[in-house]
Amino acid sequence: MSSLTTRYLMTCAAIGAAVGVLLVPANFVSAPLALAAPLVFAPMAGLWVTGPVLALALVRRPGAAVLTSFVAGVISSASPVGATSILTCVMVGVAVEVAFLVTAYRVWRPWLFYVDALASGVAYLATWWLWTDMSSWAPGVMVAFGAMMLGSFVLCTGVGLMLAKRLARAGVARGLASASDREVSEALPR
Amino acid sequence: MSVLDLRTVNPLVKVLGPIPVMIYVVTTRDVLTPALVGLLAFALLALLGHQRPRVLAAVALGTVALVAVMTVSFGLLTDPATVDDTTPLARVGPLEVWSGALATGLATAVRTAALLLLVLLGGLTTSGADLVRAMTQQLRLPYRVGYAALAALRFVPRFSHELEVVRGAHRVRGVTAGRGPVGAVQRQAGYVVPLLAGGIRHAERFSLAMEARGFGAHPTRTERVVVPFGARDLVLLAVLWAGAAACVLLAASV
Repeated sequence: MSSLTTRYLMTCAAIGAAVGVLLVPANFVSAPLALAAPLVFAPMAGLWVTGPVLALALVRRPGAAVLTSFVAGVISSASPVGATSILTCVMVGVAVEVAFLVTAYRVWRPWLFYVDALASGVAYLATWWLWTDMSSWAPGVMVAFGAMMLGSFVLCTGVGLMLAKRLARAGVARGLASASDREVSEALPR
Repeated sequence: MSVLDLRTVNPLVKVLGPIPVMIYVVTTRDVLTPALVGLLAFALLALLGHQRPRVLAAVALGTVALVAVMTVSFGLLTDPATVDDTTPLARVGPLEVWSGALATGLATAVRTAALLLLVLLGGLTTSGADLVRAMTQQLRLPYRVGYAALAALRFVPRFSHELEVVRGAHRVRGVTAGRGPVGAVQRQAGYVVPLLAGGIRHAERFSLAMEARGFGAHPTRTERVVVPFGARDLVLLAVLWAGAAACVLLAASV
C-alpha cells in the first residue's frame, strides 16, 4: 500500500481522464462499426491500449496500466453501455500489464511493450474468433482482419510510447518512476 | 421507487451477474438459445428497469436493426466455399450471397444482440460512479483507488478549460501547422502533449491538496453514498441465472 502514493494515484487518474474523454466518442463510433463493418473497425481496435501504455511507460510502477484504464472506464461510462465500460477497460489494462508482471517489473524496454501489444492483440482476436464464429470467414478476410487488428495494437502502442517520451522530456511526473531513477540521475549533469 | 426497481439493485449484481451468461452465449452457435436469453434480458429491462417508453422502444428497434444489418455484414465475410451446398441468393460484383452464409451471419447477429441486451441490463440502470462505490464497499477495493477514479470525473471540465488555454497559447505564439484538413489534424495533435502535461501537473497539485486534508490517513473511511447489498440483490441474481438456465434447457429440448 505504501507504494500507492496519492501523487501516483492522481497522475494515473489524470491520464485516465484524458483517455476516457477520447473513448466516449470512440465507443459510439466503434460499436456500430464493429457490427456493420468489422474490417473498418479492426484498425481502430488498438485505440484502447494507448492510455495504459502511456501511463505504464511514463510512471513505470506496478498497476499503472490497470489503474489508468480503470479511470478511463469510469470516465467513458457516459454511454448506453454505462458501467460495463469499466470492465472492458480494466481487461485492456490487465492485458497491457501482463508482460510486465511476468518479468517482475524489471524490464521497461520498448520491445516488451511491443511484445505485449502483439500478445494482447492475439488474445483479443481470440475473443472475436469465438464470438463471430470466425472459422467460417473467407480466408482472405480472416488474414486481413487479423493483420489490421494486430497492426493497430502495435501502432497505438507506439503512439503511447512516443507520448510518454515527450511528456518525460517535458519533465512531467519526474521522480515518480521507480525504475528510471538511476537512469535519470545518470543522465543529469553533475 | 418500488422494491422491484433495477435502478436500486446493487451495481455488482447488474454488471458482474450477467457475465457467466454472456460467456455461455458467446460459445453457442445456434440461433434459438441467444434469442431466448436476449428476450429474457429485454423482459427484465422492460419490467424492472423503469426506463422511459422511448428508451425501451429505441432498444427494441435498435436490436432488430442490428440483427438485420449484422446478418448481411457478417454473412458477406463468410467463406462461400463452406456454404456452396446452399442456395445462392444474389451476386453483386465480386460479392456472393449464399443462404448458408446468411444463416451463419444471423447466428452471429442474434448472439451479439443477446450480449448487447445483457450489457444494457446493467448499463442503462447503473452509473460508473455507483459501480466504483460498490467496488470499494463490497469488493474491498482500496478506497484510495476508488476515490481517485471519482475525483477524475472532476478533471473532465478542467481539461476543457485547459484545452482553451493551450489553444490560445498556440495562437498567440503563432504556432501554425499548415492549412486544410491535414493542418487541422496536425494542429489537434499538437494539443495532446501540452494538454496531458497540464493535466498531470494539475493532478499533482490536486494530490497535495488531498493529502493536506488528510486523504488516506486512515485505513477505513465513512461513505457519503452507501450502496447496500441485500437479500433482494441475491434474489435478482438467482432469477437471472435460473432464467438463463431455463432458456438453455428450453432451446435444447426443441
